[in-house]
Amino acid sequence: MNLRRRKKDLTFWERIYIPEIIKGLALTLRTMFKPKFTVEYPEVKFIPPASYRGRPVLVMEENGKERCVACGLCARVCPPLAIEVQAAETQDEKERYPVKFEINMIRCIFCGFCEEVCPEEAIVMSKDYELSFSSREEALYGKDKLLTPIKQVQDRIDFLRHYK
Amino acid sequence: MPKFVLDGIEIEFTQGQTIMEAAKAKGITIPHFCWHPELSISGNCRVCLVEVEKMPKLVIACSTLASDGMVVFADSDKAVSARNAVMEFLLINHPLDCPICDEAGECKLQDYAYSHSTGESRFVEEKVHKPKRVPLGPRVMFDAERCISCSRCIRFCDEIAKDPELTFVKRGDRVTIETYPGRELDNPYSMNVVDICPVGALTSRDFRFKARVWELSSTKSVCYGCARGCNTEIWVRNNEVLRLTPRYNKDVNSYWMCDHGRINTFKFVNDPSRVDGPFMRHNDNLIRAGWDEALSKAVSVLKHYTKEEIGFIASPYATCEDNFLFAQFAKNVIGSKHIDFMRHYDHSFGDDFLKQDDISPNSKGVELVGAVPGKGGLNFDGIMAAIKSGRIKALYILEDDIVSANPEFGKILSKLDLLIVHATNFNKTTDLAEFVFPASTYTARNGIFVNFQGRAQRIRPAASTIEQDRSLDGMSLSRLDKFGTQYDSWATGNKRDARSSWKILQALMQLYGIKQKYSLAEDVFLDIAKNIKTFHGLNYEIIGDQGSLLNLVVPETAVKV
Amino acid sequence: MTILQLIAFTAVKILVIFTMMMLTVSYLVYFERKISAWAQNRLGPNRVGWFGLLQPFADVFKLALKEDIVPTNANKTIHTLAPMIALFVAFTTYAVIPFGPDVTMFGITVPLVVADVNIGILYVLALSSLGVYAITLAGWSSGSKYSLLGGIRSSAQMISYEISMGFSVGGVLLFAGSLRPVAIVQAQQGWMWNAVLQPIGFITFLVSAFAETNRLPFDLPEAEPELVGGFHTEYSSMKFAGFFLAEYANMIIASALIVTLYLGGWQFPYIESFGLPAGLVAIIQVLTFLVKIAFLLFFFIWVRWSIPRFRYDQLMNLGWKVMFPLSLINIIWVACLIMIFNL
Ligand code: SF4
Ligand code: SF4
Ligand code: SF4
Ligand code: SF4
Repeated sequence: MNLRRRKKDLTFWERIYIPEIIKGLALTLRTMFKPKFTVEYPEVKFIPPASYRGRPVLVMEENGKERCVACGLCARVCPPLAIEVQAAETQDEKERYPVKFEINMIRCIFCGFCEEVCPEEAIVMSKDYELSFSSREEALYGKDKLLTPIKQVQDRIDFLRHYK
Repeated sequence: MPKFVLDGIEIEFTQGQTIMEAAKAKGITIPHFCWHPELSISGNCRVCLVEVEKMPKLVIACSTLASDGMVVFADSDKAVSARNAVMEFLLINHPLDCPICDEAGECKLQDYAYSHSTGESRFVEEKVHKPKRVPLGPRVMFDAERCISCSRCIRFCDEIAKDPELTFVKRGDRVTIETYPGRELDNPYSMNVVDICPVGALTSRDFRFKARVWELSSTKSVCYGCARGCNTEIWVRNNEVLRLTPRYNKDVNSYWMCDHGRINTFKFVNDPSRVDGPFMRHNDNLIRAGWDEALSKAVSVLKHYTKEEIGFIASPYATCEDNFLFAQFAKNVIGSKHIDFMRHYDHSFGDDFLKQDDISPNSKGVELVGAVPGKGGLNFDGIMAAIKSGRIKALYILEDDIVSANPEFGKILSKLDLLIVHATNFNKTTDLAEFVFPASTYTARNGIFVNFQGRAQRIRPAASTIEQDRSLDGMSLSRLDKFGTQYDSWATGNKRDARSSWKILQALMQLYGIKQKYSLAEDVFLDIAKNIKTFHGLNYEIIGDQGSLLNLVVPETAVKV
Repeated sequence: MTILQLIAFTAVKILVIFTMMMLTVSYLVYFERKISAWAQNRLGPNRVGWFGLLQPFADVFKLALKEDIVPTNANKTIHTLAPMIALFVAFTTYAVIPFGPDVTMFGITVPLVVADVNIGILYVLALSSLGVYAITLAGWSSGSKYSLLGGIRSSAQMISYEISMGFSVGGVLLFAGSLRPVAIVQAQQGWMWNAVLQPIGFITFLVSAFAETNRLPFDLPEAEPELVGGFHTEYSSMKFAGFFLAEYANMIIASALIVTLYLGGWQFPYIESFGLPAGLVAIIQVLTFLVKIAFLLFFFIWVRWSIPRFRYDQLMNLGWKVMFPLSLINIIWVACLIMIFNL
């Protein structure tokens, strides 16, 4: 194996450290007077860009129905098994729809795999990052909480189409 | 023996075998859609094209007879590119339906699209549209767009079910399957076309959209519907049995099973009428009781009767283990000779293919393990008559709903002072019982059924009861079973407080002071094998997946299917 | 001065210093967090009270409410004793540090030092060497491998750096000709600060002080990425708070010591020449002392958020191969100065 050794190319001034230490100190000192980046959260809300992976939501078409066909791929790919889908038959053209679609937000790790695998663009990551529960039951998000009008997630869908 | 070479591997064959058959016998599968080992050769899907040295064109492996010294390539560039081309053609008009298709996950077309296709389509035109959701019969749904015209279903109806119902109509890319005018796909074996259809064109209406196949665990078992005992797989999700499929056994059922067995023999497992925990009668109502309470009460009540006053009805629906212990209990513990079981025959059910007139799975086994009248004991009719005349005052029935089978027995049984029943579900017999012990269903226990041929076959637990643990008890696990916790609704399906009948009987016998203790069904079976000559030398491992033919005095010839 | 007065004044001084120390320590923690935030373009604590000024009290409250966990394998007595030793050492050292000139109150001359001992410096060195016991015992008694490793590292580190520290102080003592802190301060009249006269000694002492207080870049005893929490891994609640306090108290001591030994103590150069009233001079001098300490404390924090931690071998190399020879060179340097200028 060809071990690469570090080149001993430090100059004398570098080797006595002191000037380098002073440079470092100067840098931090300068930084102390620069503008701060902190967002003071509860008062000021962070509005994420389209690339942000917040809580996954189901896309609701303009007719008020979900896009999802309950194929179960998201449930299969979800690494922590957060998604449960139960399909049923519908008279619509798409033949099947989810009677039950549940994401266990305690399990979800916001990986976005569900969104990536979905063949129908029916589940996307939203911008919602404010999630808190006081019981396990509350963390089970059913269709009522998951369905989101397509307008609200349009920019994410555009983003996905652009970068996929 | 003549030999030919397939991709550098020498394969022996017998004269008259095709390349496909000879390769399969050696364990090599050449890709195929339309070929099926039990059906005639059609040769229309062209996926099995192989290159044979000195032949000018590629040939199809499924219909080309192997000959000595042949050199065949299934992996040469030519063969592979032909296969890719065939796949591309097949996919041209195939809809992108996988998300809504029940076949997805066990679809040959999907699998081959991964392994034998370039993964790209050059077809940009509009696909041909055909009717979707066509009910071909009461149990089978057809999707014309997905059909790849392999004709397996047509050949099945013609050759196996011997009831020609399906045919191709139209030509070219408009070709589709239809039933003959005025006919439906409703032969008693119709659902086998769902299994053999290589794609999702034919799907089961019963299982439609119930689950994705990758969420299910499958367990090798035996059908409960008749004395044939077709080998099956039980598919379970979240402790709920969702479908049965046939499992290959060349001596019993080949690749097939009947629709009755497939649809009607598991519904009761998920039914709300299941007995959940032991029940005792109290002021005309059956009241849930604890195990210890019910068992000790039953024993103390039983002790009021002399051995001549107690009758025993064994069950052809219970396993050999259950019946063996039941006979032990009757004959050795109580000392009664009045033990027999009811035969369930339905002469309209049987046919000359798979279905048998005996519609219980284990009547042969019951006889073999000795749950029959002892010397001077009453048989089934004798017991009924004795109840009528008041000679027998107490009856112990193992897992059999004799009242529903023959309503006359209802009147007779109501004469009894004491009726103890093991039952999986509440039924007309339990309505008359003083004690009802919850028996687990055949989908939740280990045991042996002996079919009409005298073949001992294993059933295995697929859905679990309260006292079972899927992983600790070695049951098959789906991914959901492996990773579910007590907080996941998809992993905490309904489990009942039920036990194998032999376990309940063993608990009773212990209250009678019997020391013998089995911890597994197999221990009971080993005891059977030790004590009953027919079973000598057998154990679960030897019986295995394909069963063992017992050494009966008059061996019945294995039927050719 | 009567004995009674002596006791009274000493008691008052102790009380003042103690409260000052406690307050400073808590606000030191606050400023540590603030400065670290600023150095990283953040805001730092700003929720509890105005600008987060009540944060230290919230911290103490939190620590006090925490469960006090003692590991099963720990030696309970020593486990409890260790943080006490640390605190005791940190506070008692302060007794000999002068924070102002003698002042005359109600006709009595009071030296602004708790105990004007003539071997003050020796006392400081002795006590700070005791401090290593706290850490080593804490590490050993916790019954945890991380703690033990942290404790062992710290004893090695402290012993190594005490040598160069001792030799650096040697130079100062040569100049002052006394072990009395007050005398040392007085010896640095005007701009004749030891930091100016013997820069090498100043640097070696400064570096050793960082090492002795276990501050970054020398915080190997508690190196989080390697040792979880080092010697205090198994400490929680008020016992942890004890170590925490001791660390910051040690920082103050180290700063005070550096000021006393090298930066002219409470002296404001040439203040006599302004002709101010004696009272005002005393006040200015005490303030000077405080400002000097404050600057050094800031320096401590500043360095912590600028320079990464040394590796163990680098630390030892630095201690024995660089700091030790340098401090010897410093003594020679001082000796030469004394010889040439006959100071
Ligand atoms: S992958 Fe998409 S279409 Fe399929 S079940 Fe999930 S959300 Fe529905
Ligand atoms: S984001 Fe990841 S973890 Fe969350 S539901 Fe989707 S696949 Fe599961
Ligand atoms: S038949 Fe197979 S390839 Fe076709 S849609 Fe169904 S699963 Fe997909
Ligand atoms: S329905 Fe299925 S089995 Fe029948 S021809 Fe079409 S693909 Fe073949």
